[in-house]
Amino acid sequence: MTRVFVLTNHKGGVGKSTSATNIAFGLTAVLRRAGASNSRVLLVDTDSQGHATLVTTGRNNYGADDSLYTVLMADRQAAPQVLANCIVPSTWDENLHVLPASPMLEGAERELIGVAGAPYRLADPLSRIANQYAAVVIDTRPSFSLMTEMGLLAATDAIVPVEPRYLETVGLMSVINKINEVREGWRHPNLRISGILITKLDMRVRGHKHLLEELQSHSILGKLICGVIPANEAVSYAHHNHQSIFAYDPQCPASKAYAQLVGQLVRQMAKAGA
Amino acid sequence: MPKQSTRIDDLLASVTADLLDGDPQRFQDNSIRVERILLELVRPDPVQPRRVLPERIHFAFHQNRLTPTQALRELVQIVQVAARQRGRPFSSVLELLPRSDDDSEETPDVQLSPEEQLLRDLINLAVTIRDDGQVNPLSVVDVSQGVTRLYRIETGERRYWANWLLRDFIPGYDGDGMIPCIVVPSERSSVFRQAKENTARAGLSAIAMARQAALLLLAIHDYEIPDGPVSNDFYRQALELDLRGKREYTDVVLAAMGGVGKMRFSQIKSLLRLSDEALELADRHNLDERKLRPVLLLDPGVHAEIIRQIIDFKLTSKQVQELCEADETDQQESEEPNDIPTSALRIAKVAQAATAPSPHDVARALIKRTGDVDLARVRLRAIQKLLADAEQYLTE
Ligand SMILES: Nc1ncnc2c1ncn2[C@@H]1O[C@H](COP(=O)(O)OP(=O)(O)OP(=O)(O)O)[C@@H](O)[C@H]1O
Ligand SMILES: [Mg+2]
Repeated sequence: MTRVFVLTNHKGGVGKSTSATNIAFGLTAVLRRAGASNSRVLLVDTDSQGHATLVTTGRNNYGADDSLYTVLMADRQAAPQVLANCIVPSTWDENLHVLPASPMLEGAERELIGVAGAPYRLADPLSRIANQYAAVVIDTRPSFSLMTEMGLLAATDAIVPVEPRYLETVGLMSVINKINEVREGWRHPNLRISGILITKLDMRVRGHKHLLEELQSHSILGKLICGVIPANEAVSYAHHNHQSIFAYDPQCPASKAYAQLVGQLVRQMAKAGA
Repeated sequence: MPKQSTRIDDLLASVTADLLDGDPQRFQDNSIRVERILLELVRPDPVQPRRVLPERIHFAFHQNRLTPTQALRELVQIVQVAARQRGRPFSSVLELLPRSDDDSEETPDVQLSPEEQLLRDLINLAVTIRDDGQVNPLSVVDVSQGVTRLYRIETGERRYWANWLLRDFIPGYDGDGMIPCIVVPSERSSVFRQAKENTARAGLSAIAMARQAALLLLAIHDYEIPDGPVSNDFYRQALELDLRGKREYTDVVLAAMGGVGKMRFSQIKSLLRLSDEALELADRHNLDERKLRPVLLLDPGVHAEIIRQIIDFKLTSKQVQELCEADETDQQESEEPNDIPTSALRIAKVAQAATAPSPHDVARALIKRTGDVDLARVRLRAIQKLLADAEQYLTE
């Protein structure tokens, strides 16, 4: 089964989009290098702001008939084909494909609330084409909303990026509880929390170091840490240049940290596939 | 920039070296996989010699003028018209299936049209798929380009159509719109494999065999096989080609055709000389090669008419041969001053004859000459048509 990673956290600016795009690109690149027969990766942008869409495709003016919005509004039976039609290539790599967000997604939530089966409007069609891909990565918006719920229901693995300043366990637990709620409430047992990804870590800040150590020693949360991405200006520059961090500066600390994370995800995928 | 791209390579290389763990094969998977694929992402092969749909629908579908559902709707409509004419209209396609509790039992001599037979077979297949809850995987080739995912059917087109029928025309479908497929790596797919698969199964019409032979010949002569639907002229290019120049391929080609000999191979291929309309009729009605061979002696202008007679009167190959050879001698005698062929003069003479023969005698004479009733009927019908056509020219 194709792994579908969702980057989720209701806090804004913690690095969801940065991580989603770079993980997606990294998976493609690493799988190809490893000689995998299928190294295509699909990035799904569910945030109406469309940051992930913009940096990976160069535009964010997708609309009523060429975006995720189109898929959500489509007739149930036609939705998988509509989804396939809306996918565009990324400018980053020919094997990275993108299902773009649209500003219209903002309204979609309102339009869909109360519609039967609404939370499955992404999961359902996506599950029909997911096997065309080695992996799918979903970026979400910073809220507990219907759109985020759709993202979680479509996923197999939730990765929770957190900034050290939010590392207080209470906040983290609320994200994890939310994921659990989706799993139990929607009977989606396949969804698991595959990791907490610490972003923007600055070891020179004494508080960061302290919070990290505290988290690492936490009996449950400590085991969930799947990566630590250092605070690195290159990340912002890469974003402004609409480039992946790997292409912008493969030597920078953030590149190395994301490469390590991607390597770990691929290893898990290979193990599960074997 | 190049410097940077080598550095990104270095970075990724270090990750992958770690992953591969000294085992470079770990992620490679060239095995043949069975996958469930969305029906919409699967397409029949436009150059597949074995055609499932009637020609007109086949072309409209492959030129993207019809969706799969629309194509089937057209087929259903054709059958509906035929059924209504026979006084057995239906509203749901399921009514086409013979009912087990039906005592009236269809009279065995009810001749189903090829379209009715096709639709009935597809519905049968669809219902089996619905009731068994599964379908044997198709074999498909991944022909995806960029973000456009697409799988081309190598074998199993009927199951594909049956699935659409099931999804959109038959009540009680609760599937997920996907179909199991064996995905054949594209380098392993070939006209040869397809040919072998085709000939291994029964029911390939002589015309489909001819197209098959043509495809194989074109392939070994390095012709490019197009992605879209092709006209008969595409296959007819093979009439100029043969196996002689390609000794190294002879055995593979003949084997792919089901182990036929060279002689038979070229007989089959020659069928492509039939006119377009004749090809279509012969394919649809599944006429065999021996019935078609004599028709090739005649002018292409009359091919379709002769084929129609073969179908209408269910002529045997011997009858066809007699019919065509007689026609041919007519044609050969046609040199005559002032341009009027002898055959025409002969008919004119008969028309002028003062004492018309009795109809009974004409019938007897015809049977005597042709040797059987069916052929005699063919002859009569031909002359009726001829006389009617001739009348139109009187005013010119
Ligand atoms: N490791 C890092 N080092 C430095 N800056 C970073 C790092 N990761 C992300 N950033 C910057 O932080 C900002 C927010 O990141 P990003 O957009 O990825 O977060 P987000 O969670 O998707 O935000 P939102 O909730 O608004 O969608 C961006 O300007 C990004 O460039
Ligand atoms: Mg974001």
